[in-house]
Parts: sequence; C-alpha cells; structure tokens
Amino acid sequence: MSADRSTYRPENMTANRTPLTIAAVLSVAMMAPVAWLLGLSIKDNMELKLGTDSVFELPYTLVNYLNILHSSQVFGWFFNSLVVATGQTFGVLVLSSLAGYAFARLEFPFRRTIFVIVLFGLAVPEQAVIIARHQMFNWAGLHNSYVGLILPDLSSALGVFLMTQFFKAIPREIDEAALLDNASPLRIFWKVLLPLTLPAQATLGIFTFLRAWNDYWWPLISATKKEMFTLTIGIASSQINFAQTEGLGFLSAQAVFASLPVLIVYLIFQRHIVTAVSGGAVK
Amino acid sequence: MSASIEITDVTKRYGELTVLDDISLSIRAGEFVVILGPSGCGKSTLLRMIAGLEDVTKGSISVGERRVDTLPPGQRGVAMVFQSYALYPHMTVAQNMSFGLENIGLPKAEIQRRVLQAAATLEIAHLLGRKPAKLSGGQRQRVAIGRAIVKEPKAFLFDEPLSNLDAALRGRTRLELAQLHTRLGSTMIFVTHDQVEAMTLADRIVILHNRRIEQIGTPMEIYQRPASRFVAGFVGSPAMNFFPVESATSNGEMLTIQTGGLGSVGAVIRPPSRFSLSGASLGIRAEDVTVLPAGQPGIPLKAEVVERLGDRTLIYGHLTDGTKLTVEADGRSEARSGDMVQIALDTSAIHLFDAAGAAHHGEGG
Amino acid sequence: MAESYRRSQWSNGLFVLPYLAVFVVLLAFPLFWGVWLSLHKVDLFGPGRFVGLANYGRVLVDPVFLQALRNTIVFVLVSVPVLVALGLFLALALNRTTRMTSFLRGLFFSSSVLSVTIVTLIWRFVFIPGDGLLAVLSEALSVQPVNFLSTSGWSLFSVGVATVWWCIGLPMMLFLAALQQIPNDLYEAAALDNASPWRVLTRVTVPSIARTIMLVAVIQIVMQFQLFGQAQLMTNGGPNGTSRPLVMYIYEVGFLRWDVGKAAAASELLFLIILVAAMAQYVVSARKSEASE
Repeated sequence: MSADRSTYRPENMTANRTPLTIAAVLSVAMMAPVAWLLGLSIKDNMELKLGTDSVFELPYTLVNYLNILHSSQVFGWFFNSLVVATGQTFGVLVLSSLAGYAFARLEFPFRRTIFVIVLFGLAVPEQAVIIARHQMFNWAGLHNSYVGLILPDLSSALGVFLMTQFFKAIPREIDEAALLDNASPLRIFWKVLLPLTLPAQATLGIFTFLRAWNDYWWPLISATKKEMFTLTIGIASSQINFAQTEGLGFLSAQAVFASLPVLIVYLIFQRHIVTAVSGGAVK
Repeated sequence: MSASIEITDVTKRYGELTVLDDISLSIRAGEFVVILGPSGCGKSTLLRMIAGLEDVTKGSISVGERRVDTLPPGQRGVAMVFQSYALYPHMTVAQNMSFGLENIGLPKAEIQRRVLQAAATLEIAHLLGRKPAKLSGGQRQRVAIGRAIVKEPKAFLFDEPLSNLDAALRGRTRLELAQLHTRLGSTMIFVTHDQVEAMTLADRIVILHNRRIEQIGTPMEIYQRPASRFVAGFVGSPAMNFFPVESATSNGEMLTIQTGGLGSVGAVIRPPSRFSLSGASLGIRAEDVTVLPAGQPGIPLKAEVVERLGDRTLIYGHLTDGTKLTVEADGRSEARSGDMVQIALDTSAIHLFDAAGAAHHGEGG
Repeated sequence: MAESYRRSQWSNGLFVLPYLAVFVVLLAFPLFWGVWLSLHKVDLFGPGRFVGLANYGRVLVDPVFLQALRNTIVFVLVSVPVLVALGLFLALALNRTTRMTSFLRGLFFSSSVLSVTIVTLIWRFVFIPGDGLLAVLSEALSVQPVNFLSTSGWSLFSVGVATVWWCIGLPMMLFLAALQQIPNDLYEAAALDNASPWRVLTRVTVPSIARTIMLVAVIQIVMQFQLFGQAQLMTNGGPNGTSRPLVMYIYEVGFLRWDVGKAAAASELLFLIILVAAMAQYVVSARKSEASE
C-alpha cells in the first residue's frame, strides 16, 4: 500500500459546495435592498432629489437620524408600539401560562372539550373576526386606546397551545413530589412548575413581542388618530404620502429606526427563536 | 416515629381494566416490606395509592390508626422516593429538602436543623448549595432520600429507587438503605422487580402477580416454600426446573411421582386427598440437583451449555426425553458442553404444584 | 368514594377562566357575529336589518371581488411553490454547522422579523421608477427600465418578490428542523448502498420530510391567501386593481366604504376558501403519501 495515499474520509461525501455557493449568492440579493435603504438613509435629502445614484458617492450624513430626534411624532409612535407590544406580551404570558398549566396538569369538567375548542381557534384567520371585532370595539369605545390595541391578540390560541405542550413536557413526578411535600395547586404552579417553564416563557414572549410590534391590520383600523399610531402604522402613513414627504433619506432613516428594536431582539434571542420555530416542525 | 400500615380489600380499576384486585396487607411499624413482581403487575400502583397519587377504587388504607385514603397526598404523613428522583431542577439541594417543610409552616430554625442533620447522615452536606443538574446519579439519589428523611414521615415509600444506578453503585446503595432502616427504624415500603434487592432488604416480601398478592413471607419462606408455581419460577436464579407429572402413587409416607425425563421420583410430600394429578408439575431448583462423580449411576443429562461463574458452575442440558434441566454444580466442575453427566435429585427439596399453581412442599424444605 | 389529587374539580378550571373569557369574547363571539353581520345590512350607523344571503350575492357579482379573487389565487399558486422550493433548497444548502451556514441561516430568517411596513418601504425603494435601485441599475447598464409598481402584471410580481423575501425564513427553518430529525445512519446506510447524491436526496431526504413539506405548504397557503399589507402599501392594488388581493378588497369595502355587511360576507367567503384550500392540500398530500407507501 502506498504511504502517500490519503485515507477515505466520509465527510467528503457531502462536500458538494455548489448549493452553498448559490445560497451565498442569494444572500447578497437578500441584503442588497437593505443595503440600498441604509445607503439612502445616510444621504442628504436635497442631494437625493437630484438623483438617487448619488448613494454611491460621498458625502454621507447622519442628519436624517438627527431629524428623527426632533420629530416628536416618530418618538410618540415608538412609545405606543412599546406600550402595546409589552402589554400584549405580558398579557399573553399570564393567560397562556395559567391556562397551559390547567390543561396540562389539572382535571376539571369539560377539560378535553374546552381544549379542543381552543385548538380550533388556531385555525381562525384574523380576517374572519376582524370586522365583528371592529364593531364591538366601536360600541365599547375602545378604538384609539392602548387597551383597544392590546386586547384582540390576547385571544390567540397559539400561546395556550405552546404553554400546554411545555407544561406537559415537565415530568409528572415533579408535581407528585410537590404534592407529597404538601404544596397546593397554586403553590405547585408558582414555585415548582412556572420556574421550569422560564425558557418557554422567553420564547413565547419574544414571539408575541415581535408579532405585536409588527402587527398591521388591526392597528390600521383601530388606531385612526395620528397620536395613537403604532410605529408600524406611522411609517405606513408616511409612506402613503410618499411623494410629497419629508424625503427619501428621512423615510429610510425612519424605517431603520423602526426596525432597530426587532432586529436587536432578534440578534439577542436568535437561538431562542430558532429553537421555537424548529420545535413547531417536530409536531 | 414510624407507624403501621393497614391495606384492606383494596381494588384499583381504570374503567373496565382491573389493575389490583382485593389486596389486603398488614405492615408492622418499623418493618421493611418489599413489594416484588414483574413489570406491569400493579406494584407501583399500589405504592402510589398509599402515597395518594392514585385514588382507591374500593377498600381502605390506614397509616397508624388513621384512615388516609380520603386524604390528599401531603397529609398522609408518608414520604416517597421516586424512580427518577423527581428533584426540583431549579432549587438547590437545601431548597429541595426544605420545600416540604416550608409548606407545612415549620419554623426556619427547625427546618435548618433537620436539613443539616439529614445532610450529615447522608454525607451530602457539601452539596447543599448545588442544583440537581450538577450532581451525579448517586448524589441525586441521596438528595431524594434526604428530602424524604427531613419530613420525619410515618413511612417511607420507595419506587424502584435503585434502578437508575449502575451495578456497583446499586449494590452499595442497597447496603446503605439497609443501614438507614436499622438506624431510623422507620416503616419502609420498597417496590422493585429485582429479586436480589427484595431478598437482601426485606423483612417480608410481598409477591404481586396478575392483580393479586401471590405470597407474603420472609425472604427464606419465599425462596424455600414458594406458595405457587409463579413464585417458585419468579424467585431464584437460575429459575426452578419444572416437569409435568404423569402419575403418582402414595404409600402414606412416600409419594412416588412419575415424570417424563426424570422417571420415577420419590418425595416426602403429603398432598391433600383431593389433589388432582392432571396438569400438575414437579419443581426442583438447580442447586438441589447434584452431578454425581463419574461412574455412579444416576439420571443421565446431556450438557448443552456450561456457564462457569467461578464459585459455581451452571449446566444447562436436556434429559433423555428432551426435557430441559439446569443443574448447579461445583465451581471446580469439569463438565463441558456435549458431555453426558449423571445427576441425582435431593428429593427432600422437591416441590409439587397442582394445575392451578398451588404449591406443596416436602417436609425437609 | 376516595379522593385523588387528580380528581376533577370545578375550582381547577379557574386557571383557564381568564384566557377562556378573552377567547370567548374576542375570538368565538366575533367569529359567529361575523356570520350574523354577513346576513344583515349593516353600515356605519349601527345594526341593520336581516337580508339573508343578499350580501353574498352582491359580493359574488362584484367584478372587483372577482378580480381580487383571481389575483389572490394567482398569487398563491405562484408564491407558495416558490416559497416551498426555495425554502427547501436553502435548508439543504445550509444543513451543516459551520460559521458560514449559521450566519446565512440567521440572515435569511432576519427579514421575517421586520414589519410589513418596513418590508414594503425597502422594496418600494428598489422598485420605484427613477429613484429605485433597479431603475438606477438599469440606467447604469443602459437597459430600458420597467415601471414595476404601476405596470399591470409587474405590479403583482413585485408584490410577490417582496413577499418571498419577507417570508422565506419560516419555510427554511421548518425544513432545517426536519432535516436534522433524519437519523444520520440512514445516510450512512445509503452510502454503503452506493447511492448517488441525487438518489439520496429523492429517496432518503425528501420522503423523510414529506410531512414537513405538507405542513409548510399548508401554512404558506393560509398565510398567502391573507396577502394585504404588501399590496396595499406597494401598489395600492393598482394599476386598475390588477394587484388587489381579497383582504384588501375586504378592507376597502368594510373600512373605507363602510359597507360592513358586504365586507363580512366577503371575509366569510375568504375564510371558507382558506379552509378548503388547506384541507384539499392536506387530503391530497395524505393520499399521496399513502399511495407511495
């Protein structure tokens, strides 16, 4: 046997690099529009009016971002989004954890029936209920209020479904040990099981926050007063009067500013998000 | 402060399925009782009913003088060690042990005293600040026992607590459990499918099979005078040899039994007069069969597999009619597979079983 | 009767009650009330009178609705296969753990966390005539620029490009998760059996993730039927309604013209279409996988 002949390496089997190369090329196409937006956001509006090809040339400026600081409107929208997204996240976590615990661990009359009905809720798209909801909130006088913006998505069955799964995944012996330790159902929930669902809470929380932050349909019809706009709707409204707006550069800067919170959340919690999305596929 | 446990006519059903049928069992205060049975025999269910984790379909359970089957688990005064240990993953060892005591509102100083004492007993004092994930299997096991000890329960319930340990650790922990029982003098009920654990730990063994108690007795009673063919076959390794009985004649003193492979065997057994031969069988343990020195006439056995265990040798073979038989021979036995050996039975150690499995033993046993 | 800790108790239901109240008031009730609304003539001035199926009749003869229906179906028929195929391709290409692949995975998923408003803004800046990235590029290459957002045909296409860009993360992630579930020894066995890469893909990989392919397709069908924000913000349905989807039609009828009954009828129809499409996809896939076994 010749000594210089290298041994067969199984990993060479999968070493076809073509797909990865194509994916890398696609990633450039993926990023190009964002790069373009970033470029516009650091150009002076007057210069852009003469031609956007000036993006490829100096000078660059942060004046658009500084202008956001002077625009109380954008900050107001930002604050609204923060209140709505935080409130909704908190509400979903509380409701889903309580319900998930009961569905996973407690016995009460009609438990199975109720759970199945709630699961049916997963299949109801937003547009099947949005008109009736709008009417209801109209009568209740809840439009253009934080409560009106937060409430509807608390009904989402997804959180309940996920928390039920998470509670079911905890070994039953843990609660049995707690029962033998004289703990009440409430104490078992609060001191024993809830701490064990913290990773799940984080996942569900991140998802709810992102969804609330990005929600479009409902705030569009519920928040009609400019000062109650969420950031998503605010940016949309600036977009609609596009031509006569404050200018492409300023609009781009606003978009970058509006995306920062979700992108930061995404970067910090990327692993959580990936796990959560992947978890859905196993079912 | 240990208590007796009285289980009276307890039945457990899940819908149509009966898991335990009319079980009665008296456990004395301070007794170590092992419930032994094959998997799925309902032994864990019985333990969980005592703990209050399963409800009782029919019958009653008392701990001490108090009827407990109507009480929630925490108020029964029993502590349980789970097979998986079921430690609270987010609490430290100290918190795991004190959680139950906090729940009943014990003063802080008392909780601390008990936790420290139990930790010292179990030699886990240096682990008190750790979380379960940072412990080895054996350490987790000790914490689970410690969590039970601090409650100073009337009885300890163990649900196969050694099955998750490796063989060496299992042997050591078994010994420590026996010592713990001696020291605490508490009532302990221990569920297992491992007969070595049962034989070594138990004051009394309860054999559970097919929804019922097959036999209750000391380890020696169970081994030497099994109440049924099931017990005889289940306890002991290698398993008892069985032979179908063809015919039997009695002269008042001796019972002469005819079986296929063994031929005619005389035994000092006095079965009741209504004993029916049809379906009856004869049983004898491997160690009650001896290999005769070469040249002595006996029952011929063709050795198929010879297992040398060092202190003894197991010979698996078949008789002239093909019936299988296992013999325990001396560790220095020179028998090899393929050999023809001559064997003899210790007729005083013969067991006779009727068609229903009920056992009759020789006077010598 | 002995008591057990698992014994059914009304008080245990209290844990579910808060959610259940929200569920009933904000999901179950509106769902049924939506049906009620669709059977009544309702406008801005409050509850109206029962009109039977008249609203449905008005919707079904409305040429604007029929055009929106056609647009939506075309959109779904094109975008869903693209999302499934591209998602599967990316997952296969990136199903390895290196710095490069995890960076690319993160990148392809990152667009999914943006709001529709940002996505449309980004893509308008790509597509707008004169100032858009494509316009600038075609000028540099001396190609006749296309007016993407206001040319019939191109406008829906542009909406589709933005949608695929926005939504590609989820299919990719779901496929990646499924690929990681395939036991490695299957591939080792295939290698010992001399299987070519293509045969490994078609005979081992794809059959192993058939369920996920179906799941992704159903999710995307349900999602893409609900196309709204991208079309509204990028093209406003134009030109001449050629890129107006169903949800936008519902929005316009219900919230701009305040013909609530008609909008409700249209949304019930859309709900029905989504259910049927998802079910059909499910049934077809189930039958296919049965036949292949």
